[in-house]
Amino acid sequence: MTEDAKKLINLRINGKDICAPEALSVIQALWYAGYPRVKGVGCLQGVCGSCRVFVRRAESSEVSTELGCELLIEEGMDVSFLIYPIPPYQTYRLDEIPNSWEVQAKFHEIFPEAAQCRHCGGCTTTCPKDIDVEKGVELAVKGRFREAGELFVQCVMCNLCQTACPELITPNHVALFSRRVTAYFHTRPSNLINRLEKMRKGELQVVE
Amino acid sequence: MDEAPVLDQVLLQPSCRVGADFDAWLWDVGGSGLEAALEDPGRILDMVKAADLRGLGGSGFPTWVKWSAVAAQTGEKYLICNGNEDEPGTFKDRVLMEECPHQLIEGATIAALACGIQQIVFYINPHLTGAIDAVRRALHQWQQSEWPERIARATGFQVVYRVQPSSGHYIGGEETAAIESVEGKFPFPRVKPPYPTEHGVHGRPTLINNVETLSNLPHLLRNGVDWFRRQGLGDAAGTKVYSLSGDVLRPGVYELPMGTPLSDLLYRYGEGMLVGKKLKAVFTGGPSNTILTPKDIDVPMDFESVAARRSALGTGAMIAVSQGTGIVKKVGEYVSFFASSSCGQCPSCKTGTYYMSQLLNRIGTGQGTRSDLDSLINLCTILPGSGRCHLINGAVKVLESSLYHFMDEYEQSLRGPHT
Amino acid sequence: MATNTPYDAAIRRYQPLAERPLPDSAELGDALLERYHPDYIPDRFVELTVGPNAGDPCHRQLADVLQSDSRIDEADLAASAEVETDVLVIGGGGAGCSAALEAARAGARVILATKLRLGDSNTVMAEGGIQASVEKDDTPQMHYDDTVKGASGQIDRKLAAQMVMDGPDVIRWLIQQGMQFDLDQYGDLLARRAGGTSAPRVLYFRDYTGLEMMRVLREAVFNSDVEVWDYCPAVELLSDQSGHCAGAVLSSLKDYRYSLIKAKSVIVATGGIGRLHLNGFPTSNHFGAVGDGLVLAYRLGAKLRDLDTFQYHPTGLAYPHHLGGTLITEGVRSAGAYLLNAACERFIDELRPRDHVAAAIIRECAEGRGVDAGHGESGVWLDTPSIELRHPGIIEQRFPKLLHLGTKSGIDPREQPMLIYPTLHYQNGGVVINRQGASTVPGLYCIGEVCGGVHGRNRLMGNSLLEIISFGRRAGTAAAKRVHGVGMRQKKVSLEHLRAFRRELMLAQMPLTQQSPLLFPEYAKFEKDSDYDGLRRNTRVDDDG
Repeated sequence: MTEDAKKLINLRINGKDICAPEALSVIQALWYAGYPRVKGVGCLQGVCGSCRVFVRRAESSEVSTELGCELLIEEGMDVSFLIYPIPPYQTYRLDEIPNSWEVQAKFHEIFPEAAQCRHCGGCTTTCPKDIDVEKGVELAVKGRFREAGELFVQCVMCNLCQTACPELITPNHVALFSRRVTAYFHTRPSNLINRLEKMRKGELQVVE
Repeated sequence: MDEAPVLDQVLLQPSCRVGADFDAWLWDVGGSGLEAALEDPGRILDMVKAADLRGLGGSGFPTWVKWSAVAAQTGEKYLICNGNEDEPGTFKDRVLMEECPHQLIEGATIAALACGIQQIVFYINPHLTGAIDAVRRALHQWQQSEWPERIARATGFQVVYRVQPSSGHYIGGEETAAIESVEGKFPFPRVKPPYPTEHGVHGRPTLINNVETLSNLPHLLRNGVDWFRRQGLGDAAGTKVYSLSGDVLRPGVYELPMGTPLSDLLYRYGEGMLVGKKLKAVFTGGPSNTILTPKDIDVPMDFESVAARRSALGTGAMIAVSQGTGIVKKVGEYVSFFASSSCGQCPSCKTGTYYMSQLLNRIGTGQGTRSDLDSLINLCTILPGSGRCHLINGAVKVLESSLYHFMDEYEQSLRGPHT
Repeated sequence: MATNTPYDAAIRRYQPLAERPLPDSAELGDALLERYHPDYIPDRFVELTVGPNAGDPCHRQLADVLQSDSRIDEADLAASAEVETDVLVIGGGGAGCSAALEAARAGARVILATKLRLGDSNTVMAEGGIQASVEKDDTPQMHYDDTVKGASGQIDRKLAAQMVMDGPDVIRWLIQQGMQFDLDQYGDLLARRAGGTSAPRVLYFRDYTGLEMMRVLREAVFNSDVEVWDYCPAVELLSDQSGHCAGAVLSSLKDYRYSLIKAKSVIVATGGIGRLHLNGFPTSNHFGAVGDGLVLAYRLGAKLRDLDTFQYHPTGLAYPHHLGGTLITEGVRSAGAYLLNAACERFIDELRPRDHVAAAIIRECAEGRGVDAGHGESGVWLDTPSIELRHPGIIEQRFPKLLHLGTKSGIDPREQPMLIYPTLHYQNGGVVINRQGASTVPGLYCIGEVCGGVHGRNRLMGNSLLEIISFGRRAGTAAAKRVHGVGMRQKKVSLEHLRAFRRELMLAQMPLTQQSPLLFPEYAKFEKDSDYDGLRRNTRVDDDG
């Protein structure tokens, strides 16, 4: 596995024909070929959701959405970066929800579109982390926030599901809401509470 | 002196524009086409083929091909009269339904006879309340008449008619989406094949024709193939109902011979551009709208001739814009329309159109960079064909067409260099 | 350089085993760090010639950036918009967000400027967890002692003591923002050990702790009164007549203009330097981590410390090439995964502090006991199947990111080991701060990875996530309070301090050919990107030649 591994791959990225050694990601290939790329690059480890791309593979009419940092180049691939600002549509504050009995009602006030889901499945198709996004929205609509949030452990907030939704639901924010209320109202670890209480009483100090 | 314009000659002739008044319809034109059809139903398909009747809802697809596919099947079959008209600049079906509902019903009946169809659904955009009302009332009159009984005797089956408002989504006009809608579901386009002619409403063979296409049938049957072909100019057959809008003095619906030059529509009937401005471009309407420019002013408006100019006749909608109109902005409006109409099933379509409209907006407001323009161009190659229906192709087409004709304008709209 | 075993041959030799003893021969010897840790590579360090740390040792690559000219002149600002605010936060990671949230909560008008998008940071990539002593057999004192011990001396004890005391309340605050942690069946926080900890103390959410933290904080900021300026890297700080910090110059990557933000307090939370790829190492850092904050603070006169010490995380992915440098959490070793050389032998206690473990891996590869990954890279095995054999299902339950990384690599970590090599992970040193996060320049606060002293010369796993929230909240509150202090009338702002710095550079006969902050790593070719022509480039001299 030394120099012989340098097989070259031809592909097109953002309309530029590029020839790069195999074993590069799309972003690395673009840089390798000498093209600048600043926007749309982030953690380069698949957790920030910055490098959304459209990908069309050779001999295929399908176009999928993926993360450019995780995407290994292939012969004949056509790639287009998706760089656009996606502001969330709604605002809410957790401390405005008086108690956990009110969460569901508040949810529907904050995300009125969520109940309008037409079940097209586009959000699930587009998710580069293979999350069952549509199911998550459905669970949240039913008030099953813990379950809804659980589905989104891998969510990197790339916002692809937000632009994919024809009903202007923001599934990723729905999911994050679900996760946040779960922690805010239901995470009450006794080990933490005991420790905080001891510290409040000044029973634990640090001697430098 | 020009000879007086020949206007509204067939479908929109005064004796057809009688609204839901069955007697008035029968008094002159009505009934005789259906009589001819009943005499020899086996002949209808041949006539449609010989007349070169096309799908006038935008595809220009030969009508007989679909018909013969449906006719070849047995058992229960459906006809959907597609009146979901919703694209920017198209407003002809509305007139045909509001003012000539009996013509449509008779045309649909002839189609049913030709293809052995028992179920006819008038599938109409719910925003066209006048059209729904007119078709409903006309249908009521029709059902009170002797005709249904006569047809049942001749064919051996009862034709069932109903009016069904569509969901009001633009995408509901797509064939397979219309089928879903008629089945009571959200109008999601289906993957093709299977095609509706084999597997349509409730899995049964289904014929889907545009309102204008069907409205031609009573006349074709009554007057014959030769007459029909003579209505068009050059090689084109029949008439076309054009929707003219934009910066012209007299916008409106004009029925003219198929193949009428664009200049006639714009200047003779539309009486030219507003406040003496020059024509800059014409957006043709329909599922794949494209651009014609002043050098295309002589183009005969039929499917083949317009296609030869890298454009498409579509629904026959012509939106004329004058000098001073920002093409990037205008294209942005169309693409936004597609973006908000995408059904969501294919992320490449929903996100693709959204992204295209973002880029157009950026460039159109002077914020775009060279790489934004490159991205737009790239999307034109990557996206087409990626959706299960043609919506994404339509959005790409108008963009691509504008890039082809107005690249200069795009480049001039980019952010100027800073020093 | 010794020849390592080719990947294919080495993977054939590997057999999954639940238990492997640590051979006695794996004794370290004192010379391990000195011989193999990159901090000890000769000739990599220089003495700084100008600025507050003149005479101090500094990594050569960092020194080049610190002793560069500014990207701008006053003339560049001629037509710039001026905006006033109380608190300006520069940096949109965990530290910046928590500072912004607390400053806004204290009633200050806050602008948060970030180079790329809000949340683009190293925080989002942190995996293993956050330290806080909550277990009954643990105490803040033990946390403190471990932190000091792991730091190899030179730690700022006041800062460390305060941070460990903040720990439990930081966790409560995060839960109140809506952050989830992994809990046991009774709802108690689960804690795991880390290299160098004397008790289970690292709290976590799978191996996505940073991602969970960041997405929650980002959502909290978006839903607060904080005004977010994204795609707006800071290129210079502003000073007032007294040389105090009075704002910053931002360059917008959206409309390609400069803006002057006049602020009563500035909080720099720009993170570290991994993308400088010190010593040619791959990095686990975010694309934007090129030391901007250090440069800005240094030019304004802030004192820095420990610029010659960096953390190399032992387990960065070494194969496949396109994901090289990607972090695999120390949590995997906490859970018991072994490190194996090409002969499938363990060679170090895997839970030694990071600097030792990294040095040992480098030693194995340097002495021919590593695995050749191709592309000139090498590594050793992280024996993930061993923990799966001992605790079936653990990888799926606890380490979803590892599993996802495996999928992207075509390797199932439950059956095959992952090839790893140390990856440049953390800047141990940085701006000198006090307990409120205030630097030596009045009006300038620095928090998170950009500052130094909290971890000495080696940071323990889980202490950085604690640090960013602990100091982030404190600096946010302090910066907001300062707004109402005496003499806080709006002052004249300028780039006067630049003149002084340039004088120093010229007098020291330093070349003024390079400009900083870099903003992006060289390979992103920011300077060549015609999109950004409106902003001054970093290649001014090239124009002449």
